[in-house]
Amino acid sequence: MLLSPLLAWVVPEYLLYIGNVLMMDAMLALGLDVLLGWSGQFAFAHIAFFGIGIYGTALLDMRAGVPFLLGMPLSALLAAAIGFVIALAAIRLRDVYLALATFAFALSMQWLIRTWDSLTGGPDGLRIAAPALFGIVVGTDRRAFVPMAMLLASMLAAMLHLTRSVLGRSLAAIRDSEHAAAASGIDVRRSKIAAFTISAFCAGVAGGSYTLFGSFIHPDDLGIWQLVQVLTMIVVGGSGSIGGVLLGVGLIGVLPELLRLAPAQWLVWQELAYGLILMLTVMFLPLGLRSVLRRNLRTTVPPRTRRGTPTMEHTAP
Amino acid sequence: MTWLGNVGTHLLACVAACALALPAMAAEPGVTDNEIVIGMFAPLSGPLIAYGIQPVNAARMIYDDVNAHGGIAGRRVRVVVEDDKCTGSSLVAAIKKLVTIDHVFLLHGGSCTAALAAAREFVTREHVPLVMLNAAGDSLVFPPQREFFGSFQSTQRVYGAALAEFAAGPLKAKRVAVIVHDDDYGKSNLASVTATTERLGGKVVAVERIPPSITDVTAPLLNIRAARPDVIISGAYPAPAVLIAQKYAEYRMTATPLLQSTQGIPTPSVFAKNVGDDTALVNFYHTWAFNDIAEPAVHDRWYGMYRAAHPEDPDPGGFMVTGIPSALAIVATLRRLGCDVTRDGFVAAMDGLDLQTDLMAAPLRFGPDRHDALRGVRVVRFDGRTQTVQPGVYSWNGQDGN
Amino acid sequence: MLMLKLLQAAASGVVTGCIYAMIALSVVIIYKATEIVNFAGGELVMVGAWLGLLLVGYFGLPRPVMLLAVPVVLFVLGAAFDRLALGRIARRRPSRRLEHATLVVATIGLSNLLKGAVRGIPYTQEVRRLPPLIGGAPIFVGDVVLERQDLAIVALAAVVMLALWAFFRYTLPGKALRATSQNARAAALVGIPVAGMRMSVWGLAASLSGLAGVMLAPKLLLTPDMGDVVTLAFAAAIIGGFTSLPGCVVGGAILGIMQNLVGTFIAPQAIAVTPFFVIMLVLLLRPQGLFGDTVGVRRV
Repeated sequence: MLLSPLLAWVVPEYLLYIGNVLMMDAMLALGLDVLLGWSGQFAFAHIAFFGIGIYGTALLDMRAGVPFLLGMPLSALLAAAIGFVIALAAIRLRDVYLALATFAFALSMQWLIRTWDSLTGGPDGLRIAAPALFGIVVGTDRRAFVPMAMLLASMLAAMLHLTRSVLGRSLAAIRDSEHAAAASGIDVRRSKIAAFTISAFCAGVAGGSYTLFGSFIHPDDLGIWQLVQVLTMIVVGGSGSIGGVLLGVGLIGVLPELLRLAPAQWLVWQELAYGLILMLTVMFLPLGLRSVLRRNLRTTVPPRTRRGTPTMEHTAP
Repeated sequence: MTWLGNVGTHLLACVAACALALPAMAAEPGVTDNEIVIGMFAPLSGPLIAYGIQPVNAARMIYDDVNAHGGIAGRRVRVVVEDDKCTGSSLVAAIKKLVTIDHVFLLHGGSCTAALAAAREFVTREHVPLVMLNAAGDSLVFPPQREFFGSFQSTQRVYGAALAEFAAGPLKAKRVAVIVHDDDYGKSNLASVTATTERLGGKVVAVERIPPSITDVTAPLLNIRAARPDVIISGAYPAPAVLIAQKYAEYRMTATPLLQSTQGIPTPSVFAKNVGDDTALVNFYHTWAFNDIAEPAVHDRWYGMYRAAHPEDPDPGGFMVTGIPSALAIVATLRRLGCDVTRDGFVAAMDGLDLQTDLMAAPLRFGPDRHDALRGVRVVRFDGRTQTVQPGVYSWNGQDGN
Repeated sequence: MLMLKLLQAAASGVVTGCIYAMIALSVVIIYKATEIVNFAGGELVMVGAWLGLLLVGYFGLPRPVMLLAVPVVLFVLGAAFDRLALGRIARRRPSRRLEHATLVVATIGLSNLLKGAVRGIPYTQEVRRLPPLIGGAPIFVGDVVLERQDLAIVALAAVVMLALWAFFRYTLPGKALRATSQNARAAALVGIPVAGMRMSVWGLAASLSGLAGVMLAPKLLLTPDMGDVVTLAFAAAIIGGFTSLPGCVVGGAILGIMQNLVGTFIAPQAIAVTPFFVIMLVLLLRPQGLFGDTVGVRRV
């Protein structure tokens, strides 16, 4: 982290851009993991909150003159507020319906951005004016690198704090067994809503951070496929752990750039490779690559959770 | 190769001149005394590979041919190809790599206008010339940006204007119904159809903006039928275009001509097979930016050249030729520059491009206030089996719908 | 004129709705047996359609052979996915709560894998079509036009729905499946091979999807992305209650009609967003849909 100002001046812009994108993806993935890895809920709305962060921050700046340092938190709060409302409505639904309801929400948000021409630029996309931080115009990869690193660092600190908080422990308990958690006095409903809201806030921050180095946004960039990529990062690295998520973001985020070294005629199989990576990971490494690393570091570590009960039980209501 | 000219004779003289000029030349990225590096990018993975893989191969074929004939002023063309997936983030990564790692002289690529738009700030800041591969590029050439050159198969404005003009002229239509997608292409297409129709004294009586993912086109066609138009102009993509033609036949609307922009009918024979019923096509017309339908010899020459260059891909589809005109324009401009190859010089020379090719329906032309290359297309009548090219080239006047 | 427009929009909507219903049926039987939402449901349809085109168009096999072969191949594909991937995940799950998300992720993985595999074949770069099984001049009811292949689609959706209903209701394997879905542990205790049951449900659902693909390809057209239509199947299933087989068909028809009415009387631009609004509204106001059960109530 200390090296970052130095790095930002000597490294080619391409690498800085990849670095910025990875940091943004890390914020996005950390937020999604609060929902998926910590509380075991599965929701697609994340990509919509990300979009609210981008469009909110950019439009507040360009249309209302609200500076980034105010506009970004405001947009993230808007995302959190919408997340809170969705959580209120969706939390009583079973897992399957939560996934489907948020799937529908994400796609309707994308439709709204595409259709509301006069506000968002609609299908022509939106050119984002470079925001200013303390009077300095950012907008390039070189200038955005340090602010991005600082944003990510603060989010990491907040996450670490959260894991050790009452809420973090409650969520872990809920994930392992909702009934047991409820029996031991945890307010399951409230904890889940909190997780959903925090997750939406993080996505909003990640979206806002995009305006620091991204100069253009299009509704096509906010589809289900983009969410699946974030999901792949979490699953491959290891959900439910900050280190695992960061590992996954690094690996999956760099993969398409590494593939640039491969012969061009192989590239067409990328989608298949992603599907395969996703399936093989959940099949053989349910806790992600993190578990392999940890096993090698400390062979005697006890399993994180109890072994599963017989196969058949999981279909019971 | 007529367009190659008699390069050979000038070659020696030029090489000699370059050798003398070398010490004086400032180091321009991607240019050495024996090569010029061109950075190409296009969708090589993802849903839109049809616009990328074969067009890139076709463009490389042109560069390989140039190299086989001695290069340009003694320099070989070297191509670095990157995948842009037709998404903004991937495209930006690709061009940042090409410019800051590979140090290419110019960028040649882009099949999707929306993704290209994400590169605008970077390209403008770095002053790298960007010649679009086969994107329409409306939002980047209207108004023209100094570094961006494109629209080699013309823009949606041209398709819309050509069909509206054809409707008002030979078809004598007064009432026009329009069906386009609810995206950027649809917006431009609709704007120029409307403006051209109104300029020629007609009236747009129905506008249906449909999503590209539509599975049932009943509603838009019922709306159109109720409006009783004299012609229907469609800017739909391949799958919806087929659905529209089918439903139009099912509802017995074939007395009204159906006019389709090129993007819905990349390979006419495949389109006819998909519609599955030639009675749907008794009154069907489409735009075409190339001369290969009018002149079979032109078709055979370019497709033969492709098969020879890429024996692994013996059956190229209709998108293949879309990679050719932009490469021809780059080669022609580099030839005009001769040995003094700089980015500023390239942009200036490109601004003076006026290239007549046997492949395109109209000349490829740029100017300081015009960065869309092709403004004229043909209109073809297609009955499912035979293509009948209609007389004349239909041109956009540079104003309607702009 | 308005009446004719309304009738035609409704008639066409029912047909499109039956397309959604066929896919929804496959999604719902998997959900009923295993409580997994199959996000690869659309890709199974897509693979079935392309496979049908390959067999008829490339290998020149007669139609009846193709109609038999596609469901068989898809059965193997579905069963193998359950056996190799889902079964393994279920056996070594890290925790009960995480498991649901993990299984959904596995189906998303399958979806990308199938789409990517088909996309790798250059022939699929252009839109293709599988000729309809039934041709002939359309039928007129008053002024309303009905295509023969459309009527066949409606009939097929009804037959498949009835056959599945009868299967679950009256046959021994069907009853065993119901028992498994209601209480897997109890089913195992009375000697039902739970893992084998799950596998056959996946096989059955996949072959149903494949058959749907072959039937629907003339209407939907073949692209590697045609599986995106699964979103509409989800909406149809949710209207119907997500566990009800007749609910899929009714839900599909309602959605198809609604899309056409929205397109005709509001704006075609809103067609795309209609299913999403329907999903959210139903889940907000009546999560059990039209025919769904509340938790713990007998299914089918």
